[in-house]
Amino acid sequence: MSFSGWSLSQLGVLFGVCGGAITVLYLLRMRRRKVVVPFAALWERVTRDSESRKIWRRLRRLLSWFVQLLLLAMIVAAIGDPRTNAWVRDPMTVAIVVDASASMAGPSGAPAEDDEEPSRRMEAAKARAAAQVRGLGPSDRAVVIVAAEEVSVASPLSGDISALLAGIETIEPSHGEANLGGALTLAGHAVRGNPGAQVLILTDGAVNVAGADALRRCIDDEAIRCEVDTHTGPADNIAITAFAARRYPEARDKLEVLAEVQNLGDAAATVTLEVTADGVSVGRRPLTLAPGETRREVLSDLDAARSRFEARLSAEDAAVLGPDFDDIAFAVVPPLSPLRVALISDGSNLFLDAALLNLGDHVQLDAAEATDPDLAEYNLVIFDVGNNALPATLPQTHLAVFDPWRFEDSPFPIGKAKDVARPFLTEQARKHPLLEFVVFKDVNIGRGTTFALQPGDDALVRSLGDPIVALREDEYITLGIGFDPRQSDFPMRIAFPLFIDNLVRYVEQRTPGFVASAPLGLSQALGLADLGLSPEGMSRVEVRGPQGEPQTRPVERGRFRMRALVPGIYTVSALDGPATGAQVEVAVNQANSGASDLHSVLGEMDLPAEASAGSAPDPAPLTEGPLWTAVMLAAAALIAIEWATYHRRVTV
Amino acid sequence: MGLRERIFGAPKASAPSSDDLFDEAFLARLELLQVIARRLFRGRQRAERKTRKVGSGIEFADHRPYSPGDDIRNLDWNVYVRLRRTLIRLFEEDEDLPIRVVVDVSDSMCLGGGAKLRYAQQVGAALAYVGLANLDRVGLTCMSQESHVTLPAIRGKGRIFRVFDFLKSAQTGGATDIRAGCGRVAAQSNQPGLTIVLSDFYDLEGAFEGLNMLRFRKHEPVAIQIIDPAEADPTGSGLRGDVRLLDCEGDTQRDVTLSPRALASYAEAHERFCAQLQTNCRTRGIGYVRANIDIPFDDLVLRMFRQGGILR
Repeated sequence: MSFSGWSLSQLGVLFGVCGGAITVLYLLRMRRRKVVVPFAALWERVTRDSESRKIWRRLRRLLSWFVQLLLLAMIVAAIGDPRTNAWVRDPMTVAIVVDASASMAGPSGAPAEDDEEPSRRMEAAKARAAAQVRGLGPSDRAVVIVAAEEVSVASPLSGDISALLAGIETIEPSHGEANLGGALTLAGHAVRGNPGAQVLILTDGAVNVAGADALRRCIDDEAIRCEVDTHTGPADNIAITAFAARRYPEARDKLEVLAEVQNLGDAAATVTLEVTADGVSVGRRPLTLAPGETRREVLSDLDAARSRFEARLSAEDAAVLGPDFDDIAFAVVPPLSPLRVALISDGSNLFLDAALLNLGDHVQLDAAEATDPDLAEYNLVIFDVGNNALPATLPQTHLAVFDPWRFEDSPFPIGKAKDVARPFLTEQARKHPLLEFVVFKDVNIGRGTTFALQPGDDALVRSLGDPIVALREDEYITLGIGFDPRQSDFPMRIAFPLFIDNLVRYVEQRTPGFVASAPLGLSQALGLADLGLSPEGMSRVEVRGPQGEPQTRPVERGRFRMRALVPGIYTVSALDGPATGAQVEVAVNQANSGASDLHSVLGEMDLPAEASAGSAPDPAPLTEGPLWTAVMLAAAALIAIEWATYHRRVTV
Repeated sequence: MGLRERIFGAPKASAPSSDDLFDEAFLARLELLQVIARRLFRGRQRAERKTRKVGSGIEFADHRPYSPGDDIRNLDWNVYVRLRRTLIRLFEEDEDLPIRVVVDVSDSMCLGGGAKLRYAQQVGAALAYVGLANLDRVGLTCMSQESHVTLPAIRGKGRIFRVFDFLKSAQTGGATDIRAGCGRVAAQSNQPGLTIVLSDFYDLEGAFEGLNMLRFRKHEPVAIQIIDPAEADPTGSGLRGDVRLLDCEGDTQRDVTLSPRALASYAEAHERFCAQLQTNCRTRGIGYVRANIDIPFDDLVLRMFRQGGILR
C-alpha cells in the first residue's frame, strides 16, 4: 500500500492540524440546548440519580471524539489516494489470446472431482484468463481474442472487468485448428502503441506449423511482451480421419462406405467403429490400433436406399478416444435421380420403344420433337428419325443417333466415310461396355453408312474394316449407329434390348453420383451439380447446418462457397431458379488429423524462459475505481451512522 | 399546541375574557350548581345558605320562651292557646357563604403558552360564577411570590364581570410560593370560609403547608391541582441528550443527560409528588381534585367537581 497523492509527511501534517482543531473544539465546553422546565426541583431530584452514570457519559463523548478523528483520518487517507501495489505499477494493455482449437477440448490432466467429467484444457485456459482479468488495475485494459478456425474478439479492449469476464465465459473449443497467426496479428494491432503492451497466449501447444511460426514471431517481437501459458494434458486420442460413401458405378443401387481411423495417442488402444445408415446399424468393427497407426475399413454392398451414414467410435475406456469431436463422422449419398432419356422418332420403331420402356424406374423416357429447345436438359437423346432429317443443331448432351448420314447435310459430328449396301458386320469391340453381351454377328442390314473416325473415336462395330458403329467421348458421348434398324433384323434379336440397356447404363455411369464429405473449417467451393442439384438459373442457396442456423450463399458458375464450423450434415436449398425449393445434403467432417493431434509442439520450439507466463497476478482488492473512493464511501457511511445516532439521541 | 410548545418557551398567557370563557348555555347550567361547604360558615348577609344562626328565615327551627322585647309577631299563638305558654317561634337564618378563589399566577402556571393558567382562570371564574349565582360572597386572589392581588368579596352574579376583569388584569409571573400566598390569604380574611386554591402546586416544600395553614385558620381549603400531561410525563416529548434545564421561576439551571430512562423517572417522580399531595389533603380533610388540562373545561366543572364534592 502506498500513497500516490499527497506524501505521507504532508498527510501527517494535515491530520495533525485538523486533529488538533477537532480536539480543541472537543475540549471546549459543549453548548447544551436549553430547556425551560416548570418544576426544576423535581428534575433535580430525579437527575441526581443519574450522576453515577457521568463516567459513561464522558466515555461516550470520548467515543464521539474518536469517531471524529477516525473520520478525519479517512478523509486524509482519501486525499493521499492510497493504492495497492498492484495499482501503483504502470498501466498495462493485455491481449489475451485463447486457443480455441479442437484440441482444447482435450483433457487437461487436472484431477477430476467425483462424478464429474475430467476438466478440459479450455476450462483451465479460461480460468487463467479470468485470473489475469481479475488482476487488472484501474488503469489496465485488456482484450480477449479467440483463436479458432476464425479469429473473433470475445471482449473488446476495455477496463471493465465484468465485461471481460463475460466475454471469457462465452469461449468454447471449436472443431478445427486454431488460426493462431491471425489471432496474434490481431492481438498485436490491438495493443501496439498502448502502455505496457502485452500478449498472453493461452494454449495447449497443439498448434500447426503456421501457428508455431506465428508464435515464434510474436515472442521475437521486441515491441510487445509475448508470453505463453500452456494448459496441456494427456494426448490419447483416436479419431476418424476420413469417412465417405459412394454408389457403385456399375450398380447404382448399391453403396460402399469407407472409414479411416487413426490412433494419434501414445499407446495402443482398442476401439469399436460402428456405422449407421439412417439410424440403422450397418456395420460394427472392433479395431486395435498401435500408436500412430491408421486403419481403413470398407463396408461393401450396402443398400442404396440409405442416404445418411454416420460413423462413431466407442471404447470401454473413454479416455483413449480423447475429445468427442473427432469420434463421429458423417456421409451423405445423393439420391438416385432418374436418367432422363428423350426419344426422337417417327414412331415406327416399336422395338426401340419397347427396349427403352423395359429399362425400369430409374429411366425417365420422354418422346420429344427434334426441334425441342430443351433437349439439352436430357441426359440422353436418342435420334431414330427414319426418313426424316436430323435437326440443324444437335443438343449438347449425350447422343445416340441411328443412321445419322441418311442425308448428306447431316449435322452429326462424326463424319461419313461412305454408303454401304448390305453391309456385313465383321468385327466388334467385345470388351467395350456398350457391347457387353451384345453380338452383332449375322445381323442382316439392307443399307448402311460407315464413319470417318478422328483420333480418340472408337469403332465399336466394323463392316469389313470400316466402322459402322462409332463412339466419340468428349464432355458428352456421341454414339453413331450407321444403319437404320428398320432396314435390318437387329431389333428382332436379343442383342438389341441389351445394346439399348448398355447404352443407358453407360450414360448413367457418367452422371454425378458420388461426392466426398466437405472438410470442417476451410472455406471451399462446392459444385451444385456434384451434389445433384441443377445450377441453372440459380443465384442463391441456403445452407442450414446441423444446429439449424441458416446461411445464404451466392452461386456463381454453378458453385457456392461453404465454411462449416460444426461437423454434421448440412442441407443446401435452392432459393431461386427452376429448382427453387430443391434440397440436397452435404456431410461435413472434421477429417483433419492435425486438429485431432493433442500433442504439444511447444517443447520442440525451445521457447525462451521469459516467454513462459507466470502465475496470474493477485486480484485487485476492488474492481471498480481507486481505493480512495472506497475510503470516502466508508467515511460517508460513518457519517451516516453518526448522523442517525445523533438524531436518535444516542451519541449526544 | 404541541407538547414542546407547551413545555418550552412559549409566550405568557393572557387572561380570559368573558366571551371565550363561557357561553350562555354553560352559564345556565352553572346557575343550577352550588358550591358545597362541608362546614357551616357564618355569613354576613342573608342569603340562601343555611347557617347555625336562628333568625328571620322562613323555615321553622325552634321555640324559646318569650322575653320582653321580642317581636310579638313571632309569638306562637297556637302553643299559647294549647299550653298557655308564651313561646316565640324561631326560624333558621339563611346566610351567604364566604368563598375565596385563589389562583396561582406563577411562572410555572404560565409556561408552555399559559395553558395551565388559562385553565385555572376558567375554572376559577366558573366557581366564582356558581358562588355569585347562589348569592354567596366570592372573593378572588391571584398569588405568586412576586404578586398578591385580591378582589374583595362581591355578591350577585351581575358582578361576574368584575371577576373577569380581575382575572384579566391580574399580574402574572414570579415563583410559586403556596405557603406564603395561602398565609396572606388566611391573614387577610377576617371571616373564614371556603377557599379554593387553583395551582399546579409545584412547590416541593410549601404546597401542602400552605393548604394546612388555611385549615388552621378555620378555612375549608380545597386544592385543585392543574396539571399539564406533557409536563407530567415528558417521555413522549422526544427530548433526549445533553441539555441544560432552566427553572422557569428562577435562575436555577442544571446540566443533565436526558435519556428515556431519566424521562420515565421524572414521570414517576411527578406522579409520586401528586399522589403525596393528594394523600396529605385527604388525610386532613382537604378537598383535592386533579385537573388535567386535556380534560375539557366544562366536563371538569359539570362532572368532576360534582363527583369530587365541590359542587352539587
